[in-house]
Amino acid sequence: MRRRPGIGGLQTAAAARDQYRLLGENVAKLRTDLMKEQLATFRSQLEEFARKHKVFSSVMNDIRKNPTFRTQFHEMCAKVGVDPLASNKGFWAELLGIGDFYYELGVQIVEICLATRPHNGGLINLQELCALLRQKRKSDREAVSEDDCLRAISKLKILGSGFEVISVGKRKLVRSVPTELNKDHNEILELAQAQGFVTVDELERRLSWTTGRATDALDTLLDEGLAMIDDGHRDGKRRYWFPCVSSISTSVVSDI
Amino acid sequence: MQKLGDFKLPQFFNYPPYFTLQPVRDTREKQVQLWKELILDYCRTQKIFVIGLEEEFPLFSNHLIESRSLSNEINLIHGAGSLSNEAREAFLSALVSEGRAEWLDRGHRKCLILWHRIQDWADILLHFVRDNGFEDSVMTVEEIRTGVESRGTVHTLTMKSKSAVVHLLPAVELHGIDRIILMRALKLLEHKGKLAIFKGTSADDEGVKFSV
Repeated sequence: MRRRPGIGGLQTAAAARDQYRLLGENVAKLRTDLMKEQLATFRSQLEEFARKHKVFSSVMNDIRKNPTFRTQFHEMCAKVGVDPLASNKGFWAELLGIGDFYYELGVQIVEICLATRPHNGGLINLQELCALLRQKRKSDREAVSEDDCLRAISKLKILGSGFEVISVGKRKLVRSVPTELNKDHNEILELAQAQGFVTVDELERRLSWTTGRATDALDTLLDEGLAMIDDGHRDGKRRYWFPCVSSISTSVVSDI
Repeated sequence: MQKLGDFKLPQFFNYPPYFTLQPVRDTREKQVQLWKELILDYCRTQKIFVIGLEEEFPLFSNHLIESRSLSNEINLIHGAGSLSNEAREAFLSALVSEGRAEWLDRGHRKCLILWHRIQDWADILLHFVRDNGFEDSVMTVEEIRTGVESRGTVHTLTMKSKSAVVHLLPAVELHGIDRIILMRALKLLEHKGKLAIFKGTSADDEGVKFSV
């Protein structure tokens, strides 16, 4: 005789489902616990290993001394989804001192940007910044790459101080003042990279701008302190120079 | 780094736009500041007391920039890398307004550079008098400028130590001092009762009686 669905049957089925779920949860919890335990063991053993064999002291050395190694290290970290600079309290940062290295760079970059600001209006070419940085860190002159600068600057953004890297043509410029550069300004800076200066004529010819458009953009750049004029030419053409693209020096800092 | 004799020129000296007076106020202020420092530094180390606006002056043109632009263009107005008269006058006027220079004429063509203010020159004179025991002596103005006493002191200075160069001895500072500046400092001291100036038979033998 076929069993008719009744309240008792439903209750039995529900009870069975509960049992299964409970069992499932238990198994999952067991598995996570086990994994957590294994991870903790792995980590403590890794640390133990590192301390015992001083593996990381040589890695640390390489990190501080060797820019290529540093780049490779960052690539490796990116692959496994770790940001070694996320916090200085992190496992890697603490163990490798990599955070300190970039914080130090960051401070020095801020110092250089401030010191050169009277001359360049707060916009400096990445190459020049690097050169000045190397000069400042005489002890390990070769050991700072542009990649390092960029990483250190990206960390400075957290301070909200308006540090930013902008690309103009093939070059990268580091901005330390909250100036907004529009497309026209960028094109002027790009053109200026060839000789260090531009003329209104050149802008009209190369970019097919009207005189008004060219002078407007140039006047803004002058007002922002990013450009300087040079009237000393017989052709009567005013030259607009941009200290941020044509570095006059790598020793501005030592004068200050 | 570029040099003028043994004088090291600052980096901005090689950047052409620094030779054109800048139109934007902030930029011009920075430019003027750099030029003021350069002019004072240069005059101090080279012992230059008077700058003539229309005369050749090593700082007023940069031959490196000139020759660089000459290769592109053949002609120049006041020339690339050469200060316009307007710029020269602006920089010197900035020094004048700070008491570090004085125009010698109404037309602003000649400028007296005071890397020491008159007051400081007067103090140096007093030190010179005390160091050499001239408290009650009589000297001619020319003696103070070029006299045996000062030259003798130059000699001992170089013999003694090189570190003394940082704080030059008064006699060394006074050696070769511009006559106008010296007379101004002497008059200041006369006013304070430290000395009396008396006239000789010609302008060359004006005398000073110290009473420090």
